[in-house]
Amino acid sequence: MARSKIKTSSGAGAVSDGRRVTLNPKVARRSFLKLSAATAALTGVAMTTRMTAKASAATGKSGPYMGSKKVKTICTYCAVGCGIEAEVQNGVWVRQDIAQDHPVSLGSHCCKGAGAIDMVTSEKRLKQPMKRVNGKWTNISWDQAMDEISAKLLDLREKDGPDALHFNGSAKVSTEMAYLHRKFAAFWGTNNVDHQARI
Amino acid sequence: MTNSLNDMRHAKSLIFIGSNATEAHPVSMQHILHAKETNNAPVIVVDPRFTKLAAKASDYVRIRPGTDAAFMMGLINAVITNGWQDKEFIRTRVAGYQELVDVAADYTPEAVEEITGIPAAEVTRIAELLANNRPTSLTWCMGGTQHHIGSSITRTFCILQLVLGNMGKSGGGTNIFRGHDNVQGATDMCILSHSLPAYYGLSDGAWKHWCRVWDVDYDWMVGRFPAKEWMNKKGFTLARWYEGVLGEVEIESPSPIKAMIQWGCGSNSNSQYNRVVKALNKLELLVIVDPFPTVASAVTKTDNVYILPCSSQYETSGSVTSTSRQIQWRYKVVDPIYDSKDDYQIMELLVKKLGFADEFYKKIKQVPEDITLELGSGSLTIGYNGQTPDRIKKHMENWHTFDIDTLQAQGGPCDGEYYGMPWPCWTTDHPGTPILYDVSKSVADGGLPFRNRFGLEKKYDSSGRTENQLAAEGVYNPGSEVKGGYPEFKDVVPGTNWKTDLSQETLKVAIAKGMAPFGNARARCVVWNFPDQVPIHREPLHTPRPDLISKYPTYEDKPNHYRVHTRYKSEQDPNLVKDYPYVITTGRMVEHMGGGAETRSNKYLAELQPEMYAEINPRLANDLGIRKTDMVIIESPEGAKIKVKVKITKRVDEKTIFLPYHFAGTLMGESYEKDYPKGHAPYVVGDPGNTVTNYGYDIITQIQATKDGLCKVTRA
Repeated sequence: MARSKIKTSSGAGAVSDGRRVTLNPKVARRSFLKLSAATAALTGVAMTTRMTAKASAATGKSGPYMGSKKVKTICTYCAVGCGIEAEVQNGVWVRQDIAQDHPVSLGSHCCKGAGAIDMVTSEKRLKQPMKRVNGKWTNISWDQAMDEISAKLLDLREKDGPDALHFNGSAKVSTEMAYLHRKFAAFWGTNNVDHQARI
Repeated sequence: MTNSLNDMRHAKSLIFIGSNATEAHPVSMQHILHAKETNNAPVIVVDPRFTKLAAKASDYVRIRPGTDAAFMMGLINAVITNGWQDKEFIRTRVAGYQELVDVAADYTPEAVEEITGIPAAEVTRIAELLANNRPTSLTWCMGGTQHHIGSSITRTFCILQLVLGNMGKSGGGTNIFRGHDNVQGATDMCILSHSLPAYYGLSDGAWKHWCRVWDVDYDWMVGRFPAKEWMNKKGFTLARWYEGVLGEVEIESPSPIKAMIQWGCGSNSNSQYNRVVKALNKLELLVIVDPFPTVASAVTKTDNVYILPCSSQYETSGSVTSTSRQIQWRYKVVDPIYDSKDDYQIMELLVKKLGFADEFYKKIKQVPEDITLELGSGSLTIGYNGQTPDRIKKHMENWHTFDIDTLQAQGGPCDGEYYGMPWPCWTTDHPGTPILYDVSKSVADGGLPFRNRFGLEKKYDSSGRTENQLAAEGVYNPGSEVKGGYPEFKDVVPGTNWKTDLSQETLKVAIAKGMAPFGNARARCVVWNFPDQVPIHREPLHTPRPDLISKYPTYEDKPNHYRVHTRYKSEQDPNLVKDYPYVITTGRMVEHMGGGAETRSNKYLAELQPEMYAEINPRLANDLGIRKTDMVIIESPEGAKIKVKVKITKRVDEKTIFLPYHFAGTLMGESYEKDYPKGHAPYVVGDPGNTVTNYGYDIITQIQATKDGLCKVTRA
């Protein structure tokens, strides 16, 4: 049986010559330092609080943003459930910090959790409802979207019954919302409801 | 997980099979490596691929994909034939043991070597390693489940732990690492086509229970369905919903599927992805609810597709359940950005438009806290009732008071409670259950026996033997009125049982007697309602070893499997390997998550892992004339193809190709970035690995068999 250790550090693919994305240089530097410390912690020796302390130091943190508040929350990637401390100023998530006190993650993050803030700051986020019209994506209002979607659903329900709908719910939503997904299917009148845990 | 990530610190040995925790659950590693370093615990990794977790292991065992059950039965047999089993645990807490022994006897080390490729001496050595280093923590992930015999494979993991006596013990347990952040919570709420929330199933009793919780009339609910019988029948699943659209195989449903709502779900995690795309394009209505457009927006070419911009989970609040069954409150960081709305708002708009808001929101005024209370009041089977929003939030405020080794609060406002009140948490003053089936603690303090779920006694088909299903005399939690096995509680409130008594009086009475509401029984090795009552190996549907089909054949074809006719025997073609000689298996990368809609739109992660690839062994690459940085075409027996870059590496053997499954946005190298809403295509695109994952579904759960298909590889 093979016992040799793979020495290369990050990246199962180790494809570093792919195309680069354009980044804000300030953000990129800060995030890169933070990520490289976190990645080193993962791929080098055992993660210890010393390694994660480095990650904190590498952000160049210098006191809180003026008038900011800290919000404790939970990472949205995997089921380990790591703590995150979000720093919020004037309703804007300006910086994230590791949660040293969290009893499971103990201040650690993987590279995904370390970049959790980009779930909110990513330029790729959808901005308003859309519909494809004549093959082209078109912005529409919430009212129009909900009117048209519900009219079509009620029409199908009338003609084909509730089982003409399939509802793919989510393991990414809160438990309360997951419960509403299942409850929605029941009240709509179908068992055609499922989510990622199936696969 | 029966135990918790932190509890793995107490393991004396750890075995991982089909789990790559270093990439899929990175932060768990600090607890695992703690056990390795402080307890000198062997870390055994069983996997077809030399993963990053294998790099941290003390012992790596390379296994042929899809043969996990054979290896486990081999370990069980080796434990038994060498007398290493925990005889007292088996005598008092296990059922169907003799029937297990009879089946396990077929899995001699030599037979296991023949099936799995693991040397016979290695089978015995690993069994001895586990026997000498108890308790063992056993972990599996999708590598153990995504097979057509996935439900049998997972049972072999549990049975091994029973035979070694590792259940209900700190440092032991069956510790399945769940994937998505709230997949445990979503599973517990049963967004599943075969059950109402909290695993109540679809029986009339289940519907009546939940109608009482919802405070709606049962007859009104019946009237919502095409006919009452469809309330009790399973629906289509995520694994095969598309067959309900395409109409190319036999389905049993009141209607084909014509509309779909896809809410926080990337379609490229489905196997046979080309069929998914075909179905998406045949729908009369597709509604995508997501913070990012997902690949479904780009692969559809039709006009009846809507995208509703949902805020991220940092822009709303609610509880989430970790892999350790801990319930945490995910506080809102900021309000929904742009013109997005959060999940609850979108659901409310939809339900109002569809005309059942009065019934749906009857008991829900304050969101999400009233929902937490409503779901808890009905989810008694799994004890979701004790974790009120106030208690969950109190734990969040007091992270620092919980001990890292026990997860119990040492003083402070949560004194004595376990972090996140792991379910079951039977009452609002129960501390949570940190380790399932642990009889060393009283039930009031978080202990539990095994559940009595399958009657009081059973006559086994294979042996004709009748066995009491309750635990033996002398097995009980401290303080129990009954000093041995007992059935589940019922009729404390006449006409109800512990699961349906909404007053929760039954739970309180049971705990006051020092007893578990669900009884005190034995864990089963024989599951008489499954086709394989004791788990056995069956060759993958698409096998590279056709010579083994006659001895280890698959099942007969199964009609109406979650409404879809499903092929087993008729799909197991011994000649397939001639044209498709390599095994294809899939997995995760640390930088990406699921279908990748989120992580490939994250600028930091995009930079770290910008390209799809296939891992190929150097020997195979050289035989096929493939060199570093070449592109290859991988083709499935279903005729689907992808074009991807090679990563030449000994992580895989010369018969196996590994693909990460997080990519989408191109096909055969051709980009469809232009088909996403303008400006919203992810930073990283690539051919979806699941384009070439094969046909094959578990006989019980219908999970897709993405870990043991076949393929052919050519230089592009």
